[in-house]
Amino acid sequence: MIAIDQLRYVRLGVQDLAQAVDFAERILGLQLVERSEQSACFRSDFRDHTLAFFVGDAADRSIGLEIHGHDAFAAAIAELKQHGIDVTAGTDGECAARKVRSFATFRDPCGNPIDLVLRPRHSGWRYFAARDAGVKGLTGVALRAVDVPACEGLWTKLFNGRVSDWVGDASFLRFDQAHHCLAYYPSTVGGILAVEFAVENVDLLMQSAYFLQSSQVKIVHGPGRRPTSNQIFLTFAGPEGTLFSFVTEGDDILDEAGHRPRQFPRMPSSFCAWGSESPLSEFS
Amino acid sequence: MISLQDVSYVRLGTPDIEGATRFATDYLGLEISKHDRRAVRFRSDAREHTLCYFEGDPADQTVAFEVGEGSELDAAATELDRLGYAVRLGAADEAATRHVRRFIGFRDPSGNSIELVWRPERLGRGYHGKRDAGITGFSHVGLCSSDVVRDEAFWTRVCNARVSDRIGDAPLLRIDEVHHSIALFPSDRAGIQHINHQVATGDDVMRSHHFLIEKGVRMVFGPGRHPSSSARFLYFAGPDGMVFEYSSGVKSIADELLYRERQFPSEPKGFCYWGARPRIPEFQDSPGQE
Repeated sequence: MIAIDQLRYVRLGVQDLAQAVDFAERILGLQLVERSEQSACFRSDFRDHTLAFFVGDAADRSIGLEIHGHDAFAAAIAELKQHGIDVTAGTDGECAARKVRSFATFRDPCGNPIDLVLRPRHSGWRYFAARDAGVKGLTGVALRAVDVPACEGLWTKLFNGRVSDWVGDASFLRFDQAHHCLAYYPSTVGGILAVEFAVENVDLLMQSAYFLQSSQVKIVHGPGRRPTSNQIFLTFAGPEGTLFSFVTEGDDILDEAGHRPRQFPRMPSSFCAWGSESPLSEFS
Repeated sequence: MISLQDVSYVRLGTPDIEGATRFATDYLGLEISKHDRRAVRFRSDAREHTLCYFEGDPADQTVAFEVGEGSELDAAATELDRLGYAVRLGAADEAATRHVRRFIGFRDPSGNSIELVWRPERLGRGYHGKRDAGITGFSHVGLCSSDVVRDEAFWTRVCNARVSDRIGDAPLLRIDEVHHSIALFPSDRAGIQHINHQVATGDDVMRSHHFLIEKGVRMVFGPGRHPSSSARFLYFAGPDGMVFEYSSGVKSIADELLYRERQFPSEPKGFCYWGARPRIPEFQDSPGQE
């Protein structure tokens, strides 16, 4: 079994880099770490970066998951290959772009690219945000999948993922105590649905809600509270079709042995306990 | 000095008692205590009632405060009379409809109708609202004031209120440890400016926000959070233009000796810590400000 240590980054291919950078700094309030003609990366916490935009295809949007230790990393690649999954080792140039020692890429059963990374860079400097959005760090990614059970099977059988809850077929997967780090939503396509950043508290989340309204950012869901994780959330439209969420509060799953995943019906009240509704088919 | 123990009830005249009752129960979430032909009383907590709608002029609005002793009621009447206020002793049948032992009525310097009551009834059976709004009780009123300095002096010198904070010229007044039970807002009319019910959690505030929007109730401010009292709030319009508020998490002022009131600006930031903008005339510097 392959043990995922933590979610490290999300890499998003965009057509208009300048617009994406503006969104990350001005709207999300993240700290710009590095900017070139072709890419830009942003910090949200102790990690060197957790969000990267590059000029490229939207289909190349990937997430980076850390494997701890060289042996475990090598074993992970071997295990994936053994199960007939195509794994490609990253080149030196690609490693440098991701600021990791090594990485290997594979695709989940629905074609979402996943980087397994070894020794991603940490930052010794305190995170200093562009605006006081209270961002505490990258906390989760929501993915679209044509076949959620197949993706769920990958993470729970080959990896150390556990199902925390289901809403209809949507599956919330955890790799540690946090309720979920990956969430899969049934869809007609694959790809990254939303990138989630934790914020300090509900005040900061609500301040962002009003800030986003005044900045004419489209809020697609919330503010609300998820009955599953008990997180307060706010989901809004980012550059070129990717959604971003701010989340706060929420319950960890402390009783690993005792927790049973709960099945919620697929209806708006299972996605929001406050009554907010979303025009997106994934949340309704 | 008149020692106010608690805010007790509000009485509101309305030309449409049926519509007001539907709002109070279906939307606000109160429980009918007694439905008479010409008046309906509503519960929000253990008390027999905290809101009464009666057939009448919507400008006919009264707020009542509880005093601790019957002798204090007599002393208050004497003191108010001495200061030149016209005091009305409540008749026995009026006291019966209010479910209090005795009461007196007068008008504050701005002309707001005030009642002081002794021994208002509470019921042994708990409040159970028509919908799960999470209401924990009627908590405070905003009053219109034609001269906030004069009226602040009335409530703090003739009565026992203390200033907890000011937003612009508007003083927020406490009569116990709750941050405020009375708030005075500059206005060119007399009457009740808003009626507050506390709800159990911030979730209740947010749930009601969506529920009331769905029902077509007009939101006038929030959801937001007051920098003064720390409470999360939602203001919305009820029958006859009355503004109702839900709030949760109002601050307690435990240290009477060391607490100092603070001055907040009379602008959206002084009213809301999240960035909501009021659409309530008394919360705006100039009418029509957004």
